[in-house]
Amino acid sequence: MTSTANSAARKWIVLFVIAAAVISVLKLTGAIDSTTGFILLAVAMLLLIPFQRALARSRSSGANQASVRYTRRIVISSLLYVLGLGIAITLDRRMELTGAMALVIALLPVLPIFGMIWAMARYIIEEKDEFLRHRAIMAALIGLAAVLGIASFWGFLEQFRLVPHAYGWWALPIWAIAMGLAQGILGWRDRREAGE
Amino acid sequence: MNNRLKVLRAERDWSQQDLADRLGVSRQSVNAIEKGRYDPSLPLAFRIAAIFEKPIEDIFEPGLE
Repeated sequence: MTSTANSAARKWIVLFVIAAAVISVLKLTGAIDSTTGFILLAVAMLLLIPFQRALARSRSSGANQASVRYTRRIVISSLLYVLGLGIAITLDRRMELTGAMALVIALLPVLPIFGMIWAMARYIIEEKDEFLRHRAIMAALIGLAAVLGIASFWGFLEQFRLVPHAYGWWALPIWAIAMGLAQGILGWRDRREAGE
Repeated sequence: MNNRLKVLRAERDWSQQDLADRLGVSRQSVNAIEKGRYDPSLPLAFRIAAIFEKPIEDIFEPGLE
């Protein structure tokens, strides 16, 4: 049952990655516009719901419920982030956003980002396995190191007019990608050494 | 820190998973502690000692760092 649920979870996440990659290629090649891209990505993200359910089934007998709750919170925050980002960018292109209206629209993708940060904090509080907690904290620090390193380097390159301006919202994707990669590599190393 | 977890497990014919289940942690945790890649906190070290019914110093000893 557990291995079946595990392979089901893998199937859903692979499907999501393929869908996201196809949508990215279509957007980058100009085959679809931004609005269509966001709608397709929001639909593709629905694949994360069966992924989260399969993951919860695979771990229902284990002690590690903290990671199931973390995944559910991240999936919900990510869905809201894509929706908020799509709405904010579409409105920005179609009307002149100023003052309080711009502030409210800017909050649409930002509030789910706060949700992701809160989910990470809750995971570190709720994870009872101290080694897994230690690994999550190390991965978060690696993510932070990537943000600080890349932002500082980019800032100087921008000052010397070698690269274009980068918006501050890049901080979270860089942090999340670096943390995810670090978690993946550290987890893979530990599973390999444990012979799993 | 060095430890005798592997020997103590073998004496009881326990797998890493058996010990992990008794401790309520993941198998990866037991493996990391056993290989000396992760030093457990004092509460976890006391739980390990209680499970093997031995004093902590019979299980863990300072390494040669």
